[in-house]
Amino acid sequence: MNREGALVCCAAVARTYGIGETAIVGLRPTDCSVESGAKIALVGASGSGKSTLLHLMAGLDSPSSGTVSWPAIGPPERLRPGPIAVVFQGPSLLPALTVLENVGLPLALGGRSDRDAKRIAADALERLDLGDLAAKLPEEISGGQAQRVAVARALAGEPALILADEPTGQLDHLNGARVIDVLLAAADHSSAGLVISTHDPSVAERLQSRWEINGGELRNHASRAPAVPFEARR
Amino acid sequence: MTALSWLRGLIAHRRSRLVGTAIGVAVAVALIASIGTFLSATTSKMTTRAAATVAADWQVEVRPGADPARALRQVRSFDTVTRALPVNFASTSGLAARTGGSTQQTGPGSVLGIPPGFAKAFPGEIRRLSGGPGVLLAQQTAANLNAKPGQIVEIGRLGLPAARVRVAGVVELPAADSLFQNVGAPIGSQPQAPPDNVVMLPQRLFERIESPAPAAPSQLLATQIFASVDRALPSSPSAAFIDISGQARNLETRLAGGGLVGDNLGSALDGARADALYAQILFLFLGLPGAMIAGFLTAAIASAGSDRRRRDAALLRTRGASTRALVRIALSETAAATALGVGLGLGIALVVGQISFGTANFGAGTTAAALWASGAALVGSAIATMAIAVPAWRDARGLTVAGQRRQIGRRDRPPRWARYGLDCGLLIVSALVYRQASSNGYQLVLAPEGVPKVSVNWYALIAPAFAWIGAGLLSYRLADAFLDRGSRPLAVALRPLAGNLSMTVAATMRRGRGPLARSVALLALTAAFAASTAVFNSTYRQQAEVDARLSNGADVTVSESPGNPVGPGQGEKLASLAGVAGVEPLQHRFAYVGADLQDLYGVRADSIGSAASLQDAWFQGGSAAELIGKLADEPDSLLVSAETVTDFQLHPGDLIKLRLQDGVSKQFKTVPFHYVGVALEFPTAPHDSFFVANADYVAQQTGSNAVASLLIQTDGTNPATVASTVRASVGTSAQVTDIVNQRKVIGSNLTAVELSGLTRIELGFALVLAVAAGGLALALGFNERRRSFAIATALGARRRQLGGFICGEAAFVTAAGLGLGAAIATAMSVMLVKVLTGVFDPPPDALAVPGLYLVGALATVLLAVAVAAAAMLRSLRRPAIEQLRDL
Repeated sequence: MNREGALVCCAAVARTYGIGETAIVGLRPTDCSVESGAKIALVGASGSGKSTLLHLMAGLDSPSSGTVSWPAIGPPERLRPGPIAVVFQGPSLLPALTVLENVGLPLALGGRSDRDAKRIAADALERLDLGDLAAKLPEEISGGQAQRVAVARALAGEPALILADEPTGQLDHLNGARVIDVLLAAADHSSAGLVISTHDPSVAERLQSRWEINGGELRNHASRAPAVPFEARR
Repeated sequence: MTALSWLRGLIAHRRSRLVGTAIGVAVAVALIASIGTFLSATTSKMTTRAAATVAADWQVEVRPGADPARALRQVRSFDTVTRALPVNFASTSGLAARTGGSTQQTGPGSVLGIPPGFAKAFPGEIRRLSGGPGVLLAQQTAANLNAKPGQIVEIGRLGLPAARVRVAGVVELPAADSLFQNVGAPIGSQPQAPPDNVVMLPQRLFERIESPAPAAPSQLLATQIFASVDRALPSSPSAAFIDISGQARNLETRLAGGGLVGDNLGSALDGARADALYAQILFLFLGLPGAMIAGFLTAAIASAGSDRRRRDAALLRTRGASTRALVRIALSETAAATALGVGLGLGIALVVGQISFGTANFGAGTTAAALWASGAALVGSAIATMAIAVPAWRDARGLTVAGQRRQIGRRDRPPRWARYGLDCGLLIVSALVYRQASSNGYQLVLAPEGVPKVSVNWYALIAPAFAWIGAGLLSYRLADAFLDRGSRPLAVALRPLAGNLSMTVAATMRRGRGPLARSVALLALTAAFAASTAVFNSTYRQQAEVDARLSNGADVTVSESPGNPVGPGQGEKLASLAGVAGVEPLQHRFAYVGADLQDLYGVRADSIGSAASLQDAWFQGGSAAELIGKLADEPDSLLVSAETVTDFQLHPGDLIKLRLQDGVSKQFKTVPFHYVGVALEFPTAPHDSFFVANADYVAQQTGSNAVASLLIQTDGTNPATVASTVRASVGTSAQVTDIVNQRKVIGSNLTAVELSGLTRIELGFALVLAVAAGGLALALGFNERRRSFAIATALGARRRQLGGFICGEAAFVTAAGLGLGAAIATAMSVMLVKVLTGVFDPPPDALAVPGLYLVGALATVLLAVAVAAAAMLRSLRRPAIEQLRDL
């Protein structure tokens, strides 16, 4: 399975942690792909393999077997920072940087000047109504605010593929809904692919597609979104 | 139970934190145990060595009218006396011997009656040079009389005809000063020199010659009982001195006026007391800062994990852990670090002792070694407690859960010590004390001769102690202030390493400036400690070499026998020998200034400067060249010792009339000189008082150009080899010494302490501390931020960009730490050498900088930092998500 123009394409990808009798299967052999503009809810219970699949798609982890490719993006070394943005499940802000600096970090890592990175980061924070927190340190804001800042960081670079691992897990209903709004709007704005792992049905309902994963096995993963090559958007 | 589970988890998952703290504890324990045990061995050795120099422990002089036999019985029955023998002293009007048709005569001298077994009982008193037992002539006397074993010598007696005896042997009297001491005389009033002419008779012969009949006038002056005492002395010279002098007084009391005790052993121990105190002071100066730095380093290493520890504690509290439970957990970690650190530290100390001194206990007694090991273990456990348990207890009591979760923490104002300017205050006080104490010549140790109480000028120690603390705090303040306010210049400086991320890196460093400033201060202190110790050690070696040269005078020195006068021409004969580059004749006379008898050295003003390597520090009132030049320009010029200048209130240009012996009439005559400057030291001269004059002027005024010594410079040939050649040429008429052997004597008899052993330990540990401060502290700091680096990797940071963060911090800490360290080292080296002037003999002209060690140490620290940074970068090669999962 290698769809030309797909943002990410997994062919018989599997992931096993450990070896021998203690080995744990994180993901069974899976074929899937995400096209530009796709909005996918990855649904499953805790420990079902959601995060494993997202990490493989993000190129953060290597599969035990099978192949992950990014036809519309390029080789693995071009994935981040830039084309793929990840919103992590746990705290992921750098404690020594302010909120503004944290949001601007991927941009700076991508080669933007310090001034540009901060300007774009400030815009991203404003979009999530987080402008007031710009000068705060991560330890000075709440867990929910920190998760929203992580979303702002993911969106600041206008990625082609947004992979969000339970982004609303630490948020109340209102703020969770707001984060999903922002993610959807950002994906619409740049025709980015969006995959959100969740076990919140209300979040899953708002996305076009719903992939279910159980015991490391992925089901119902046909994307309804049109395939738009990443390069074509530029 | 919780504590045990915690400990198990710690060992399984946070090993580096535990091992890092344990290493810090181990370094402190090893340093204290090594130095302490070495110090104990040294002071004990000082006592043994001082006692070993004594030929006869006590000389009990029987008072006139008292019964010598009774006194001998009393001495022998004294508890600690192991052996006692009586020696008779008489005077002679002169000795005469006929050699080759001419009669040689001497002036007045001494005749001793030696009991059987004396030479064996007191081997240090008599050393046989030729012949066998019987009538013995002192070497100088034999030279004066030109007498050999088998010849007849006449002993002049008052009121009786001269007695004729046959010489059986020629001996040297190594302990002549104490042998002919004036027992019971006040301190300092002993005669300057023992008699020139000495003949020793077997006691029976002595009685026949010196007390021939009750009616005949007795020549007997005194009877002295030579006694050896039990040498089971306390190891400290001070305690040994108090013990032995107390025994001497006790014996005098028992003798009830029948005798006075000349306490030679007490006098030798008296001299060693100051040395022992200097040894302790050196421990304080060189060892204590090292131990303290090791303590701070451990605290810094432990605090590298304090954020994590705090967050763990916060998690435990949210699960309901009480303050007591948290403290118990911290104590379990403390106990683990202590056990590991103390075990490792004592192991290192054993290895250091074995490698450096060939014995695991550094030559100290088992009890002393065990005591120091226990003390070091206690200090180690205190350090671990201060580093882990105390902060945990303080956090548990004073911080909320939210507060404990904080990793950075904004600091609204600087620490209290910085607000009150403690660092500057300490440095100012240090400078004031240094200035005031240096005006008093830095007499740290006062051990007046014969007085049991010794005193140390502890006040003067404030200067270096405050300087160390003040410099450490100031380094922290400067690094902290620069990181806080100098983000922009720092970013510019970091640009080559971090590129467009330089501002981000500078911001990260600014937020984490507390640990970074602490690392800078620690590296500065350890680097300064290593460098100042090395400079001190190197300067000490330099001065030991100078001391050896001062004592010997030159590469090889020929000391002519006083009874066998030679002129400067003798030097020309020696100059032609193989290996000899030049020969400088040196006159020696005794001169009276008022009632004082002092040594006078006559020098050839045009050549002595280069021949004897004169140093400016040996003179006052001008440089060596200027003052020796004055001797050449104005032949009646005289260089005088500082003591004489003070005693006689002399001013430059003052006329000084000395009485010198005329070479022809042998009578003392007055010779006028003019005082032009002060000589503090001079080759072959004693330490206290002497004169230096123009040799031609002295020869002209006294009618004798006889020289006492010939200073030989070698052409690069080993001085010991040249000395053998010279010895073969001059025979037994003169004594030949060389600087190679003199170095050995100086090295083992130096006034203070075997510094080489101490500094060998110090320099090794200083290097370990510097490496730990540079490498280990950084590595642990990086290790605690692995999660941040993993997140940055997950966000897309390349290795080069992570390298910008890691290398930026490493470069800042290294550059700032070593820069500040160099400045502190310079100031501390000057201060240490100045404050410890008493250890140096003579005081140095300039500091000796050991380039090789410093470059080596610098390279080692840089390597340690590079390894720490490279190891961190290497550990980040793993997929980011794997790292995040583990963290």
